[in-house]
Amino acid sequence: MTVLTGIYIDNVIRHLPEGSRSDIAAEITATISDMIDDRLGEDPQPSPEHTAAVEREVLEELGDPAVLSREYSNSPQHFIGPKSYPLFLWTLRWILPIVGLIALLDNIVVTFATTPQAHLGEAIGPAIGNTVTALLTAFAVITILIGLGDRRVDDDALPRVPGRQKVPWTIDDLDRRDIRGRQTRAEAALGLVFILALAAIPFIPTTLLYVGHLNRGGTFINPDLGTGWLVGYWAFLALLAAVEIVRFVTASTRPTVAIIGGIIDVAMAVFLTAAMLTQPVFHPELTSASGAEVQQVITVIAIWIIVVWDQVSTWRVIRGWR
Amino acid sequence: MDEDAEKALATHEQELRRGTVVFASLVACRRPQYGYSLLTTLTEAGIPTEANTLYPLLRRLEKQGLLSAVWNTEQARPRKYYTVTDSGAEVAAALHTHWLDLDSSITKLWKDGTP
Repeated sequence: MTVLTGIYIDNVIRHLPEGSRSDIAAEITATISDMIDDRLGEDPQPSPEHTAAVEREVLEELGDPAVLSREYSNSPQHFIGPKSYPLFLWTLRWILPIVGLIALLDNIVVTFATTPQAHLGEAIGPAIGNTVTALLTAFAVITILIGLGDRRVDDDALPRVPGRQKVPWTIDDLDRRDIRGRQTRAEAALGLVFILALAAIPFIPTTLLYVGHLNRGGTFINPDLGTGWLVGYWAFLALLAAVEIVRFVTASTRPTVAIIGGIIDVAMAVFLTAAMLTQPVFHPELTSASGAEVQQVITVIAIWIIVVWDQVSTWRVIRGWR
Repeated sequence: MDEDAEKALATHEQELRRGTVVFASLVACRRPQYGYSLLTTLTEAGIPTEANTLYPLLRRLEKQGLLSAVWNTEQARPRKYYTVTDSGAEVAAALHTHWLDLDSSITKLWKDGTP
Protein backbone atom coordinates (compact mmCIF):
# COMPACT_ATOMS: atom_id res chain seq x y z
CA MET A 1 0.00 0.00 0.00
CA THR A 2 1.39 3.41 -0.98
CA VAL A 3 1.48 6.46 1.27
CA LEU A 4 -1.29 8.11 -0.79
CA THR A 5 -3.61 5.11 -0.49
CA GLY A 6 -2.83 4.91 3.24
CA ILE A 7 -3.80 8.55 3.73
CA TYR A 8 -6.99 8.04 1.69
CA ILE A 9 -8.01 5.02 3.79
CA ASP A 10 -7.21 6.86 7.04
CA ASN A 11 -9.52 9.65 5.88
CA VAL A 12 -12.31 7.15 5.21
CA ILE A 13 -12.11 5.27 8.49
CA ARG A 14 -11.25 7.99 10.99
CA HIS A 15 -14.90 8.91 11.64
CA LEU A 16 -16.16 5.33 11.63
CA PRO A 17 -16.78 3.23 14.76
CA GLU A 18 -13.57 1.81 16.22
CA GLY A 19 -14.71 -1.79 15.85
CA SER A 20 -15.30 -1.67 12.11
CA ARG A 21 -12.24 0.36 11.08
CA SER A 22 -9.74 -2.45 10.46
CA ASP A 23 -12.28 -4.54 8.53
CA ILE A 24 -13.31 -1.66 6.28
CA ALA A 25 -9.68 -0.55 5.83
CA ALA A 26 -8.67 -4.07 4.74
CA GLU A 27 -11.58 -4.30 2.32
CA ILE A 28 -10.89 -0.92 0.72
CA THR A 29 -7.19 -1.71 0.50
CA ALA A 30 -7.94 -4.96 -1.33
CA THR A 31 -10.38 -3.17 -3.62
CA ILE A 32 -7.96 -0.39 -4.51
CA SER A 33 -5.26 -2.97 -5.23
CA ASP A 34 -7.67 -4.99 -7.40
CA MET A 35 -8.76 -1.89 -9.30
CA ILE A 36 -5.17 -0.76 -9.88
CA ASP A 37 -4.10 -4.25 -11.03
CA ASP A 38 -7.06 -4.44 -13.35
CA ARG A 39 -6.18 -1.13 -14.97
CA LEU A 40 -2.49 -1.87 -15.26
CA GLY A 41 -3.54 -5.02 -17.17
CA GLU A 42 -1.00 -7.43 -18.39
CA ASP A 43 1.92 -5.02 -18.14
CA PRO A 44 4.46 -7.04 -16.09
CA GLN A 45 6.62 -4.09 -15.13
CA PRO A 46 4.69 -0.86 -15.21
CA SER A 47 6.60 2.36 -14.71
CA PRO A 48 6.26 4.03 -11.28
CA GLU A 49 4.75 7.10 -12.98
CA HIS A 50 2.08 5.04 -14.70
CA THR A 51 1.28 3.16 -11.50
CA ALA A 52 0.99 6.45 -9.58
CA ALA A 53 -1.30 7.88 -12.25
CA VAL A 54 -3.53 4.80 -12.16
CA GLU A 55 -3.60 4.95 -8.35
CA ARG A 56 -4.76 8.57 -8.45
CA GLU A 57 -7.40 7.64 -11.02
CA VAL A 58 -8.73 4.82 -8.83
CA LEU A 59 -8.83 6.96 -5.71
CA GLU A 60 -10.63 9.73 -7.57
CA GLU A 61 -13.15 7.17 -8.83
CA LEU A 62 -13.80 6.08 -5.25
CA GLY A 63 -14.42 9.75 -4.56
CA ASP A 64 -14.32 12.02 -1.54
CA PRO A 65 -13.33 9.90 1.48
CA ALA A 66 -15.74 11.88 3.66
CA VAL A 67 -18.65 10.84 1.41
CA LEU A 68 -17.49 7.22 1.35
CA SER A 69 -17.18 7.31 5.13
CA ARG A 70 -20.75 8.60 5.44
CA GLU A 71 -21.95 5.77 3.19
CA TYR A 72 -20.25 3.27 5.46
CA SER A 73 -21.42 4.82 8.70
CA ASN A 74 -25.05 4.68 7.58
CA SER A 75 -25.89 6.98 10.49
CA PRO A 76 -28.43 9.79 10.14
CA GLN A 77 -26.99 12.86 8.44
CA HIS A 78 -29.55 15.15 10.00
CA PHE A 79 -30.27 16.48 13.47
CA ILE A 80 -34.04 16.11 13.43
CA GLY A 81 -35.21 13.40 11.07
CA PRO A 82 -38.60 12.58 9.57
CA LYS A 83 -39.34 10.40 12.62
CA SER A 84 -39.32 13.38 14.99
CA TYR A 85 -40.12 16.24 12.62
CA PRO A 86 -43.92 16.22 13.20
CA LEU A 87 -43.31 16.33 16.98
CA PHE A 88 -40.79 19.16 16.45
CA LEU A 89 -43.26 21.24 14.42
CA TRP A 90 -46.12 20.53 16.81
CA THR A 91 -44.00 21.57 19.82
CA LEU A 92 -42.83 24.78 18.13
CA ARG A 93 -46.40 25.65 17.15
CA TRP A 94 -47.61 25.34 20.74
CA ILE A 95 -44.65 26.36 22.86
CA LEU A 96 -43.29 29.38 20.98
CA PRO A 97 -46.50 31.48 21.03
CA ILE A 98 -46.97 30.73 24.73
CA VAL A 99 -43.36 31.63 25.55
CA GLY A 100 -43.58 34.79 23.43
CA LEU A 101 -46.81 35.96 25.05
CA ILE A 102 -45.64 35.25 28.60
CA ALA A 103 -42.28 36.98 27.99
CA LEU A 104 -43.95 40.04 26.44
CA LEU A 105 -46.57 40.44 29.17
CA ASP A 106 -44.08 39.73 31.93
CA ASN A 107 -41.68 42.41 30.68
CA ILE A 108 -44.39 45.03 30.22
CA VAL A 109 -45.92 44.35 33.64
CA VAL A 110 -42.50 44.42 35.35
CA THR A 111 -41.57 47.71 33.65
CA PHE A 112 -44.80 49.43 34.64
CA ALA A 113 -44.70 47.97 38.14
CA THR A 114 -41.13 48.96 38.91
CA THR A 115 -40.77 52.30 37.10
CA PRO A 116 -42.39 55.36 38.77
CA GLN A 117 -43.19 57.21 35.52
CA ALA A 118 -43.16 54.52 32.87
CA HIS A 119 -43.43 55.37 29.17
CA LEU A 120 -44.79 52.96 26.63
CA GLY A 121 -41.61 53.21 24.54
CA GLU A 122 -39.55 52.44 27.62
CA ALA A 123 -41.51 49.23 28.08
CA ILE A 124 -41.72 48.18 24.41
CA GLY A 125 -37.97 48.22 23.65
CA PRO A 126 -36.76 45.90 26.42
CA ALA A 127 -39.94 43.80 26.16
CA ILE A 128 -39.33 43.07 22.46
CA GLY A 129 -35.62 42.43 23.06
CA ASN A 130 -36.26 40.06 25.95
CA THR A 131 -39.10 38.34 24.10
CA VAL A 132 -36.86 37.67 21.10
CA THR A 133 -34.22 36.25 23.45
CA ALA A 134 -36.83 34.07 25.16
CA LEU A 135 -38.13 32.82 21.79
CA LEU A 136 -34.63 32.01 20.54
CA THR A 137 -33.81 30.21 23.79
CA ALA A 138 -37.05 28.21 23.64
CA PHE A 139 -36.36 27.35 19.99
CA ALA A 140 -32.83 26.20 20.82
CA VAL A 141 -33.98 24.11 23.80
CA ILE A 142 -36.78 22.45 21.80
CA THR A 143 -34.44 21.76 18.86
CA ILE A 144 -31.69 20.28 21.04
CA LEU A 145 -34.04 18.11 23.12
CA ILE A 146 -35.91 16.72 20.12
CA GLY A 147 -32.69 16.34 18.10
CA LEU A 148 -31.11 14.30 20.91
CA GLY A 149 -34.33 12.37 21.35
CA ASP A 150 -34.37 11.57 17.62
CA ARG A 151 -31.19 9.57 18.09
CA ARG A 152 -32.30 7.75 21.21
CA VAL A 153 -35.90 6.75 20.88
CA ASP A 154 -37.54 4.27 18.61
CA ASP A 155 -40.92 4.77 16.96
CA ASP A 156 -42.88 3.18 19.81
CA ALA A 157 -41.38 5.48 22.42
CA LEU A 158 -42.34 8.69 20.63
CA PRO A 159 -45.40 10.48 22.02
CA ARG A 160 -48.40 10.68 19.73
CA VAL A 161 -48.91 14.05 18.18
CA PRO A 162 -51.29 15.17 15.47
CA GLY A 163 -50.15 13.75 12.15
CA ARG A 164 -48.19 10.97 13.82
CA GLN A 165 -49.97 7.63 13.59
CA LYS A 166 -48.72 4.31 14.89
CA VAL A 167 -51.61 2.40 13.37
CA PRO A 168 -52.62 2.61 9.72
CA TRP A 169 -54.51 5.81 8.97
CA THR A 170 -58.26 5.48 8.43
CA ILE A 171 -60.85 8.05 7.37
CA ASP A 172 -61.95 8.28 11.02
CA ASP A 173 -58.61 9.91 11.80
CA LEU A 174 -59.37 12.81 9.46
CA ASP A 175 -59.15 16.16 11.22
CA ARG A 176 -62.69 17.40 10.70
CA ARG A 177 -62.32 20.66 12.58
CA ASP A 178 -63.41 23.70 10.61
CA ILE A 179 -60.04 25.19 9.70
CA ARG A 180 -61.52 28.10 7.75
CA GLY A 181 -63.88 28.87 10.61
CA ARG A 182 -61.05 28.84 13.12
CA GLN A 183 -59.00 31.14 10.93
CA THR A 184 -61.94 33.51 10.48
CA ARG A 185 -62.54 33.59 14.25
CA ALA A 186 -58.85 34.28 14.93
CA GLU A 187 -58.81 37.12 12.40
CA ALA A 188 -62.03 38.55 13.84
CA ALA A 189 -60.61 38.45 17.39
CA LEU A 190 -57.45 40.20 16.21
CA GLY A 191 -59.60 42.75 14.38
CA LEU A 192 -61.58 43.47 17.56
CA VAL A 193 -58.37 44.05 19.52
CA PHE A 194 -57.19 46.44 16.80
CA ILE A 195 -60.53 48.30 16.80
CA LEU A 196 -60.39 48.68 20.60
CA ALA A 197 -56.88 50.11 20.31
CA LEU A 198 -58.10 52.59 17.66
CA ALA A 199 -61.06 53.55 19.86
CA ALA A 200 -58.70 54.34 22.72
CA ILE A 201 -56.52 56.72 20.66
CA PRO A 202 -58.41 59.90 21.69
CA PHE A 203 -57.73 59.04 25.35
CA ILE A 204 -54.05 58.06 25.12
CA PRO A 205 -51.88 60.66 26.88
CA THR A 206 -48.80 61.91 25.06
CA THR A 207 -46.68 61.09 28.13
CA LEU A 208 -46.93 57.46 27.12
CA LEU A 209 -44.74 58.08 24.06
CA TYR A 210 -42.08 60.50 25.38
CA VAL A 211 -43.77 63.60 23.89
CA GLY A 212 -45.71 64.59 26.98
CA HIS A 213 -43.59 67.73 27.41
CA LEU A 214 -44.97 69.16 24.14
CA ASN A 215 -48.55 69.51 25.35
CA ARG A 216 -48.13 68.89 29.08
CA GLY A 217 -49.49 65.37 28.99
CA GLY A 218 -52.58 66.10 26.93
CA THR A 219 -53.96 63.73 24.29
CA PHE A 220 -52.81 63.31 20.69
CA ILE A 221 -56.13 64.64 19.43
CA ASN A 222 -56.98 68.32 19.14
CA PRO A 223 -59.13 69.16 22.22
CA ASP A 224 -61.09 71.66 20.07
CA LEU A 225 -62.16 68.93 17.64
CA GLY A 226 -65.93 68.87 17.46
CA THR A 227 -67.68 66.17 19.43
CA GLY A 228 -69.52 65.12 16.30
CA TRP A 229 -66.28 64.04 14.65
CA LEU A 230 -65.33 61.94 17.65
CA VAL A 231 -68.78 60.38 17.86
CA GLY A 232 -68.64 59.65 14.14
CA TYR A 233 -65.21 58.06 14.57
CA TRP A 234 -66.45 55.79 17.34
CA ALA A 235 -69.65 55.03 15.44
CA PHE A 236 -67.64 53.75 12.46
CA LEU A 237 -65.48 51.72 14.81
CA ALA A 238 -68.63 50.31 16.42
CA LEU A 239 -69.89 49.24 12.98
CA LEU A 240 -66.57 47.61 12.17
CA ALA A 241 -66.63 45.89 15.58
CA ALA A 242 -70.16 44.64 14.85
CA VAL A 243 -68.94 43.07 11.59
CA GLU A 244 -66.03 41.44 13.42
CA ILE A 245 -68.39 40.14 16.13
CA VAL A 246 -70.63 38.63 13.44
CA ARG A 247 -67.58 37.01 11.83
CA PHE A 248 -66.44 35.71 15.22
CA VAL A 249 -69.79 34.29 16.26
CA THR A 250 -70.80 32.77 12.92
CA ALA A 251 -67.27 32.05 11.65
CA SER A 252 -68.71 33.26 8.38
CA THR A 253 -66.60 33.26 5.25
CA ARG A 254 -69.49 34.49 3.13
CA PRO A 255 -68.69 37.32 0.71
CA THR A 256 -71.69 39.34 1.99
CA VAL A 257 -70.03 39.88 5.37
CA ALA A 258 -66.77 40.82 3.66
CA ILE A 259 -68.57 43.25 1.34
CA ILE A 260 -70.30 44.98 4.29
CA GLY A 261 -66.96 45.18 6.12
CA GLY A 262 -65.32 46.61 3.00
CA ILE A 263 -68.01 49.25 2.53
CA ILE A 264 -67.70 50.38 6.16
CA ASP A 265 -63.91 50.42 5.79
CA VAL A 266 -64.06 52.70 2.76
CA ALA A 267 -66.77 54.93 4.31
CA MET A 268 -64.65 55.36 7.42
CA ALA A 269 -61.62 56.23 5.28
CA VAL A 270 -63.69 58.90 3.52
CA PHE A 271 -64.87 60.22 6.90
CA LEU A 272 -61.30 60.38 8.26
CA THR A 273 -60.06 62.03 5.05
CA ALA A 274 -62.74 64.71 5.37
CA ALA A 275 -61.85 65.23 9.04
CA MET A 276 -58.13 65.48 8.31
CA LEU A 277 -58.45 67.85 5.36
CA THR A 278 -60.88 70.29 6.97
CA GLN A 279 -59.34 70.96 10.39
CA PRO A 280 -56.36 70.17 12.62
CA VAL A 281 -57.14 66.74 14.03
CA PHE A 282 -53.88 66.28 15.92
CA HIS A 283 -53.10 68.36 19.01
CA PRO A 284 -51.71 71.70 17.70
CA GLU A 285 -48.89 71.76 20.26
CA LEU A 286 -47.47 68.48 18.96
CA THR A 287 -46.38 69.95 15.64
CA SER A 288 -45.40 73.26 14.14
CA ALA A 289 -48.08 75.24 12.31
CA SER A 290 -46.35 74.77 8.94
CA GLY A 291 -45.83 71.02 9.44
CA ALA A 292 -49.36 70.27 10.63
CA GLU A 293 -50.89 70.24 7.16
CA VAL A 294 -48.19 67.98 5.71
CA GLN A 295 -48.56 65.64 8.68
CA GLN A 296 -52.31 65.35 8.11
CA VAL A 297 -51.86 64.69 4.36
CA ILE A 298 -49.33 61.95 5.14
CA THR A 299 -51.82 60.44 7.59
CA VAL A 300 -54.54 60.47 4.92
CA ILE A 301 -52.24 58.71 2.44
CA ALA A 302 -51.40 56.12 5.12
CA ILE A 303 -55.10 55.56 5.84
CA TRP A 304 -55.85 54.88 2.16
CA ILE A 305 -52.88 52.58 1.74
CA ILE A 306 -54.14 50.54 4.71
CA VAL A 307 -57.70 50.49 3.37
CA VAL A 308 -56.66 49.39 -0.14
CA TRP A 309 -54.34 46.76 1.30
CA ASP A 310 -57.12 45.48 3.56
CA GLN A 311 -59.57 45.21 0.65
CA VAL A 312 -57.08 43.40 -1.58
CA SER A 313 -56.02 40.91 1.10
CA THR A 314 -59.64 40.20 2.10
CA TRP A 315 -60.64 39.43 -1.49
CA ARG A 316 -57.57 37.28 -2.06
CA VAL A 317 -58.49 35.17 0.97
CA ILE A 318 -62.12 34.83 -0.13
CA ARG A 319 -61.10 33.92 -3.68
CA GLY A 320 -58.66 31.33 -2.32
CA TRP A 321 -61.48 29.63 -0.35
CA ARG A 322 -63.80 29.29 -3.32
CA MET B 1 -34.78 16.46 -24.11
CA ASP B 2 -34.17 19.78 -22.33
CA GLU B 3 -31.85 20.31 -19.39
CA ASP B 4 -34.56 20.05 -16.71
CA ALA B 5 -35.88 16.82 -18.18
CA GLU B 6 -32.36 15.40 -18.27
CA LYS B 7 -31.88 16.28 -14.60
CA ALA B 8 -35.21 14.66 -13.70
CA LEU B 9 -34.27 11.59 -15.73
CA ALA B 10 -30.93 11.33 -13.92
CA THR B 11 -32.68 11.49 -10.54
CA HIS B 12 -35.25 8.84 -11.46
CA GLU B 13 -32.62 6.59 -13.01
CA GLN B 14 -30.60 6.84 -9.81
CA GLU B 15 -33.63 5.85 -7.73
CA LEU B 16 -34.39 2.97 -10.06
CA ARG B 17 -30.78 1.79 -9.98
CA ARG B 18 -30.57 1.96 -6.18
CA GLY B 19 -33.14 -0.76 -5.70
CA THR B 20 -31.87 -2.71 -8.67
CA VAL B 21 -28.32 -2.90 -7.29
CA VAL B 22 -29.55 -4.50 -4.04
CA PHE B 23 -31.48 -7.13 -5.98
CA ALA B 24 -28.64 -7.71 -8.47
CA SER B 25 -26.07 -8.05 -5.65
CA LEU B 26 -28.19 -10.69 -3.89
CA VAL B 27 -28.58 -12.59 -7.16
CA ALA B 28 -24.88 -12.34 -8.04
CA CYS B 29 -23.79 -13.45 -4.56
CA ARG B 30 -25.47 -16.81 -4.96
CA ARG B 31 -21.88 -17.79 -5.61
CA PRO B 32 -19.18 -16.23 -3.38
CA GLN B 33 -18.00 -12.85 -4.59
CA TYR B 34 -15.46 -10.40 -3.26
CA GLY B 35 -16.10 -6.71 -3.71
CA TYR B 36 -14.23 -6.07 -6.93
CA SER B 37 -15.36 -9.32 -8.56
CA LEU B 38 -18.97 -8.37 -7.79
CA LEU B 39 -18.39 -4.90 -9.22
CA THR B 40 -17.02 -6.46 -12.42
CA THR B 41 -19.82 -9.03 -12.56
CA LEU B 42 -22.50 -6.35 -12.27
CA THR B 43 -20.82 -4.13 -14.85
CA GLU B 44 -20.49 -7.02 -17.30
CA ALA B 45 -24.15 -7.89 -16.69
CA GLY B 46 -25.10 -4.36 -17.75
CA ILE B 47 -25.69 -3.00 -14.26
CA PRO B 48 -22.82 -0.54 -13.84
CA THR B 49 -22.34 0.37 -10.19
CA GLU B 50 -19.99 2.75 -8.47
CA ALA B 51 -17.54 1.19 -6.03
CA ASN B 52 -18.26 3.78 -3.37
CA THR B 53 -21.92 2.76 -3.44
CA LEU B 54 -21.44 -1.00 -3.65
CA TYR B 55 -19.06 -1.60 -0.73
CA PRO B 56 -21.12 0.20 1.93
CA LEU B 57 -24.20 -1.55 0.50
CA LEU B 58 -22.59 -4.96 0.93
CA ARG B 59 -21.94 -4.19 4.60
CA ARG B 60 -25.54 -3.12 5.10
CA LEU B 61 -26.82 -6.31 3.48
CA GLU B 62 -24.47 -8.25 5.73
CA LYS B 63 -25.83 -6.44 8.80
CA GLN B 64 -29.37 -7.24 7.65
CA GLY B 65 -28.40 -10.91 7.52
CA LEU B 66 -29.01 -11.18 3.79
CA LEU B 67 -25.33 -11.76 3.01
CA SER B 68 -22.65 -13.56 5.00
CA ALA B 69 -19.03 -12.48 4.73
CA VAL B 70 -15.83 -14.45 5.21
CA TRP B 71 -12.25 -13.27 4.88
CA ASN B 72 -10.15 -15.50 2.64
CA THR B 73 -6.51 -15.15 3.62
CA GLU B 74 -5.24 -18.11 1.65
CA GLN B 75 -4.64 -16.05 -1.48
CA ALA B 76 -1.81 -13.54 -1.95
CA ARG B 77 -4.24 -10.71 -1.30
CA PRO B 78 -6.74 -11.16 1.54
CA ARG B 79 -10.28 -10.69 0.27
CA LYS B 80 -13.68 -10.60 1.87
CA TYR B 81 -16.12 -12.96 0.17
CA TYR B 82 -19.83 -12.34 0.34
CA THR B 83 -22.41 -15.12 -0.09
CA VAL B 84 -26.16 -14.88 0.05
CA THR B 85 -27.69 -16.38 3.20
CA ASP B 86 -30.86 -18.48 3.31
CA SER B 87 -32.96 -15.45 4.21
CA GLY B 88 -31.11 -13.44 1.55
CA ALA B 89 -32.02 -16.10 -1.00
CA GLU B 90 -35.67 -15.89 0.08
CA VAL B 91 -35.59 -12.11 -0.27
CA ALA B 92 -33.92 -12.42 -3.67
CA ALA B 93 -36.58 -14.92 -4.82
CA ALA B 94 -39.37 -12.60 -3.60
CA LEU B 95 -37.74 -9.63 -5.32
CA HIS B 96 -37.43 -11.70 -8.50
CA THR B 97 -41.15 -12.45 -8.44
CA HIS B 98 -41.93 -8.77 -7.88
CA TRP B 99 -39.54 -7.86 -10.68
CA LEU B 100 -41.29 -10.19 -13.14
CA ASP B 101 -44.71 -8.93 -12.07
CA LEU B 102 -43.58 -5.34 -12.47
CA ASP B 103 -42.07 -6.13 -15.84
CA SER B 104 -45.31 -7.62 -17.16
CA SER B 105 -47.36 -4.80 -15.62
CA ILE B 106 -45.19 -2.10 -17.14
CA THR B 107 -45.16 -3.90 -20.49
CA LYS B 108 -48.96 -4.13 -20.46
CA LEU B 109 -49.29 -0.51 -19.36
CA TRP B 110 -46.88 0.56 -22.07
CA LYS B 111 -48.80 -1.38 -24.75
CA ASP B 112 -52.16 -0.06 -23.51
CA GLY B 113 -50.90 3.50 -23.56
CA THR B 114 -49.25 3.24 -26.95
CA PRO B 115 -51.46 4.82 -29.60
